[in-house]
Amino acid sequence: MRGRPAWLWILLVIAAVGTVPLLIADAFFLRLFTEALMWIGLAITWDLMAGYIGYLNFGHGVFFGVGAYTAALLITKGGWPFWPALALGGLAAGLVALVSGWPTLRLRGAYFAIGTWALNRAVGQVALVLDFTGGPDGMRLPPFLHPQFFAYVMLGVVGATFLILWLLLEQAPFGLKLKAIREDESGSLAIGLNPAWLKLQAFVLSAVPTGILGGVYAYWITFIDPSSTLGDLITDQAVVMAIFGGLGTLIGPVIGAVLFFSFKTYFWAYLSDYQVLYLIILGLAIAATVFFLPDGFWGTVANRWEGRRALRKGLSLGQAAGT
Amino acid sequence: MLALLPQAIIDGVLLGGIYLTVAMGFSLAFGVLHIIDFAVGEWIMLGAFIGLIFTKWLGVDALLSLPVVFVIFAVVGWLLQPLLHRVLSGSRGRPVLMGLVFTFGLALAFRGSALTVFGIFTHSLDTVLSQGSWHLDWGPFFLTVPLIRLAGLVYALAVILGFNYLLKRTDFGLAVRAVAQNKEAAGLMGVDVNRTSAAVYGLYVGISAMTGVFIGAIVSLNAGMGPDLSIFAFFVVVLAGMGYLAGVPWAAFLLGLIQSFFLIYFNPSHVLLALFSILYLILLISPTGMFRKGV
Amino acid sequence: MQRRGWWVAVVLALALGLSLAVGPVLAADEFKIGVITSLSGDLATGGNVTKRGYDLWGKAVNAQGGIQIKGKKYPVRLIYGDDQSQPAQAASAAERLAVQEKVDAVLGPYASGMTLAAAPVLEKYKIPMITGSAESPLIWRQKFRYTFGTIPPVNFTGSAVIKTLAALPGGPKSAVIYGTNDAFSKATAEAFQATAEQVGIKVLKFNILPPKQDLTPLMSAAKVLKPDLIAFGGHDEELINLVKVLTQLDFTPKALLMHYGVTEPAFIQALGKNANQVLGASVWTGSMQTKGTLGWPTAKAYADAAVAEYPKDPADYTQAACSAAGLVFQAALVQLAAVPPLDEAARTKLVEILEKIDLQTFYGRVKFATEGDYYHSNAGLTPLTVQILDGKERVVAPAESAQTKLSYPMTPWNKR
Repeated sequence: MRGRPAWLWILLVIAAVGTVPLLIADAFFLRLFTEALMWIGLAITWDLMAGYIGYLNFGHGVFFGVGAYTAALLITKGGWPFWPALALGGLAAGLVALVSGWPTLRLRGAYFAIGTWALNRAVGQVALVLDFTGGPDGMRLPPFLHPQFFAYVMLGVVGATFLILWLLLEQAPFGLKLKAIREDESGSLAIGLNPAWLKLQAFVLSAVPTGILGGVYAYWITFIDPSSTLGDLITDQAVVMAIFGGLGTLIGPVIGAVLFFSFKTYFWAYLSDYQVLYLIILGLAIAATVFFLPDGFWGTVANRWEGRRALRKGLSLGQAAGT
Repeated sequence: MLALLPQAIIDGVLLGGIYLTVAMGFSLAFGVLHIIDFAVGEWIMLGAFIGLIFTKWLGVDALLSLPVVFVIFAVVGWLLQPLLHRVLSGSRGRPVLMGLVFTFGLALAFRGSALTVFGIFTHSLDTVLSQGSWHLDWGPFFLTVPLIRLAGLVYALAVILGFNYLLKRTDFGLAVRAVAQNKEAAGLMGVDVNRTSAAVYGLYVGISAMTGVFIGAIVSLNAGMGPDLSIFAFFVVVLAGMGYLAGVPWAAFLLGLIQSFFLIYFNPSHVLLALFSILYLILLISPTGMFRKGV
Repeated sequence: MQRRGWWVAVVLALALGLSLAVGPVLAADEFKIGVITSLSGDLATGGNVTKRGYDLWGKAVNAQGGIQIKGKKYPVRLIYGDDQSQPAQAASAAERLAVQEKVDAVLGPYASGMTLAAAPVLEKYKIPMITGSAESPLIWRQKFRYTFGTIPPVNFTGSAVIKTLAALPGGPKSAVIYGTNDAFSKATAEAFQATAEQVGIKVLKFNILPPKQDLTPLMSAAKVLKPDLIAFGGHDEELINLVKVLTQLDFTPKALLMHYGVTEPAFIQALGKNANQVLGASVWTGSMQTKGTLGWPTAKAYADAAVAEYPKDPADYTQAACSAAGLVFQAALVQLAAVPPLDEAARTKLVEILEKIDLQTFYGRVKFATEGDYYHSNAGLTPLTVQILDGKERVVAPAESAQTKLSYPMTPWNKR
């Protein structure tokens, strides 16, 4: 590490991005900006489980939905103000992760994927059949339409999530421990790790910010229903974004989210006549990325840089040794 | 309501038969090739549409399109498998996830193509069996067995028995089982791993396409039907235990029976909640499938 | 090395922003009307119905040169925003149309959920929206000032058919009622149930089901109860599946009522002779004796024009309601007599005009309620009972609009 510590750079970037809403007041742009940030948050939290520990959570959206519904219920039925409702949304999601995580994390591979998916769908059904949550009619929240407010809230949540995850995964030993579990779970016991406890921590850690994002979404869009918050779309898109960018790093999903979201939005806004082609192009793009760039865009680029640096270092060492 | 009991059982078994048709090829593909094919629902959908075109073009019964559909899609699968192999091969890491996302991309592309070519409307396939049913009356009990659903069950069982015969009694089956156990060792033993894998994948795609014809006849078909079918394929196979082909019929029937009983005897709006919860709980109790024989 | 990643991310974000933030607005020689509807996603079938309706109006208006304001004709440009069947996209589309395209008015979504997400955004920018679909009564209860609808809420349409059946001599005395668990279908089923209980039809079973559920076990259970009527609220695929299950179980009720999708050609095509005698609900068909003071002069003229433009998709009432929504805007804009682009004050005045408007169109009368539970919806239309006979949709009630008699009871499947 040369120069200033990484977390300072992160803060600087967040601050730089934070000037954007001040410079560009166009409400539509801010809406896109906010949504892009939300997807970044969803992609990095999914990557925490998938990339660092190797557990594919196909029900990741359940945390989003639980956060959204908790915040919505508190705001509309409880009369709570936004901030405490938001906090409780995150907490509720964390609680779901804690309670469900303990038994579910015993599952491996495809079983874990389907198990979490089943959980997501079950919770979606609960929201659908209960009158308390509005059933299929969903819930409406009191409109508070201030684009800059939501842009900053989303930036704050996602920026803080990124920073905390960076500190925990790239600086602290926590990240290495998770990767050890990913490489060889039974082996990690031999070196004194407690995989069950570590996995649970990571699971809850991936859930809480996602729940908070759900709460922000509810207040921002002013309308939620089971299919938009507890359906498959949230998880599906987060997965694709993380893969596009590259798993196992934090920057990868950020890049993947921005790329995918830009592509999707551009198509939607300016090429809506060809919307049918969007699915085809997207599908082929995903297949092509997996085929040609299995480490994602960022992963491939990072590997190349890493490779070149190692080469240079190796050559310089060679020179110093006089060969 | 006891009078409904036989009907509830039959309905559940027949529904399980439909799930079986969806899941059986998928289980074979996973067991042998270790591919989780997210596009299974789309293969079914495409098979249904090709069946529809064939039926309308020649004006024949939909069931006659089955061999044609099988051949076309088996060839497509055979040709596609080497691509999949490259995606899954070891040096890339995370083969399960890569295969999954690759096939997810394919599924989207297929769905988009189907929407473009076939449009958004729902269609139905007609066969001579579509309206027939067997009636059985015995005391207070009565039974109506729709013939087309029965045909679906017969088809499913025939395929399962066919697989069993193929895998246990033929040389090809021996090669397949060798590849499933250990690809490298099989190659060392003289098995042409590439050709065998391509054949298995072709078989899987062909069977899934035929399933599409049945589903189009029993229920209906439209370009967006893929995802719901894929989900049930996964659920059944995971419940049975990934790669454990013998468990698939039991898992399929179990899911069908749970649904049937729930719809008849409990509150129908909770049926999916019950289904997903039961699936989740079974997985928690038995983390490698209900028979604990999963991979 | 990792640090370069930051800058890449920032640059990409800014690039995205700058590329989308521009959009110079030229002087307007036309009215810009935004359209938010489901062009893709789960609800694309319905969304495309609305698109056809809105497009037909746009073309018709422009064929005359446009809307005449102060002696000059201003053509209409429809600018589409696809809500992709997701509320977040509906809100995003509303924002884009308001901020980037600076539309003068908006024609609204197919589905109620999308309308609920887009409406607050349009309230903020004070842009009036009329939707030709979205039948859930929820929307009107929110009392959005800038949102109107030309279709009455589904509890009107649904209840009329039940009443028609009850009035039949020897009509159904018992019913089994189902609905899919989505906003529209659930409201439909609840309307069926409430009305049935009102008119003395015994409801033997009432269930709300998860979407796309296999119906065989349910219909097996229903068959035992031997209901005279089966009434179902759901969408196209489910309606087809229901009829197929009934034919497979060899169970023909005396009457089968389904809403919404019976009037779609796909339904009749998929089921052939089994579609006959199925009942549906509607508020308009091409056979009605309506007279329009603006746009198409009669219902038949509209139906013919629609088929000429879209030969494979005959117009149903949702499509008609969408074209009518366009006509309402047309009439209101003429009354407003303001030149485009409309500023906020003009648009607010437009809303006041819409609240007072009373327009006779090929679709029927359009007059929006200004208070109560159906605020800003067009509750004054007469609901119709339709039946598929000989592969065609026919109006069978009320008597003044009926083309033919209601066929009751249904011929058993295996005798067709």
